Amino acid sequence: MSSVYHVSVDPQRCQGHARCLAFAPEVFEFDDEGYSYIPEERSRFVELSEDLKLAIANCPERAILVKEESRV
Amino acid sequence: MSDEMTVGRDFDFHGPALDNIFDTYSELRSQCPVGRSEKHGGFWFLTKSDDIFEAEQSPETFSVAPSMLLPAFGTDTPMIPIDIDPPEHTAYRRILLPLFTPKAIARLEDGMQRTARELATEVAAQEVVDVSSMYARPMPTIIFSRLAGFPEEDWPKFDRWVDDIIYERTVDPERAWKAGQEVMDYFDALLRSRAGESDQGDIISHLLHAEIEGRKLSHEELLSYCYLLFVAGLDTTAWAIRSSLWYLAQHPAEQDRLRRNPELITTAAEEFLRTLSPVQAMARTCLRDTEVSGQKIQEGDRVVLVFGAGNRDPEVYEDPDQIVLDRQNNRHLAFGGGIHRCLGSNLGRRELVVALEQFLSTVEHFSLENPNEQWHGVGPLTLRIGR
Repeated sequence: MSSVYHVSVDPQRCQGHARCLAFAPEVFEFDDEGYSYIPEERSRFVELSEDLKLAIANCPERAILVKEESRV
Repeated sequence: MSDEMTVGRDFDFHGPALDNIFDTYSELRSQCPVGRSEKHGGFWFLTKSDDIFEAEQSPETFSVAPSMLLPAFGTDTPMIPIDIDPPEHTAYRRILLPLFTPKAIARLEDGMQRTARELATEVAAQEVVDVSSMYARPMPTIIFSRLAGFPEEDWPKFDRWVDDIIYERTVDPERAWKAGQEVMDYFDALLRSRAGESDQGDIISHLLHAEIEGRKLSHEELLSYCYLLFVAGLDTTAWAIRSSLWYLAQHPAEQDRLRRNPELITTAAEEFLRTLSPVQAMARTCLRDTEVSGQKIQEGDRVVLVFGAGNRDPEVYEDPDQIVLDRQNNRHLAFGGGIHRCLGSNLGRRELVVALEQFLSTVEHFSLENPNEQWHGVGPLTLRIGR
């Protein structure tokens, strides 16, 4: 069975450093207070791009969460 | 035991101690990653990246009262929001958040580019020049003062106040407190002169109109915000620009590499921030007995998070003391983290990148004229321009 990656930003941990925006601007959005989020409709990935991996690795708060989900 | 307790006893992170602080960090790391210094009234220091990260994530144990600064920044007044703990901290910080988002900072782009280019053009016309006073300091002072609403005719006074409050405080505390009072008096008068005006679009206007829990900010609260913005907004970025130029002046091949590949400057800026961080350490106070990497720390003890050491932690970075301009994995602590993460980080980063872009594209080859000038601080950086 194949799986997909669900990627999200933990709002409790994000402090608005915006490093994710620097690495993967096509994935992350920012609210009016400068906190990052990923819109639900584009939060699933068959594979994680290099940019997205760098965004995850460089988050100072370790706030970007990756969960593997089995594909329905 | 006795050896371990004596190592680090004289550890300091100000003034001349910075000259060879990276060697000091290596020594502390190998002998006592959590240790005790007797300086500044006594404090525990944390040098490991993970320990610093954990402490930042635990404001209920590591309080910022009475101040994040050790020693104080020329005042007893807690600075809002950095010297305030939750729950009050949350609403205080939220007032400033919209002003420093990536979108808000993007609106300053044209002004930054223009200011940096004008200053760089003046530098380029010289043979030997102090780029600290001609470039690294004025660029962020102009950008931030415009954003904040600090009147242009007052800018010439700012450098001395910053020098006395931030740099002279460890040598001559009286001078720092005198300057602190002058800055308080200055903002007291500025705030009074602007009370009741319509929105001017700057930070002072924003604060004058802001509401916290259904009320306006008091004069004392406004003053505290202004004082913080003043000491946080000018000097840190100047240090970052100056230290980056200090490094590049000694590495002509790296200079040329960035000139040829300006898209690499954003990554290089992160590396300069990691290795030559303007804020080497910040203090906390322990609110309850705790333990860090096996070391017991008692309620009431001061604790210093040594970001500069964590940023060179070999458990986190490959070749931590090497400046690698295209380093990809670079989760550093230059802006701190947790609820007190530097609110101006998006601004500071952009200023540094623009400053380097404009400098490298405008000024031809440059080298150190005075090799005795140190990597740290905002003192003179004398460069020879041209080959």
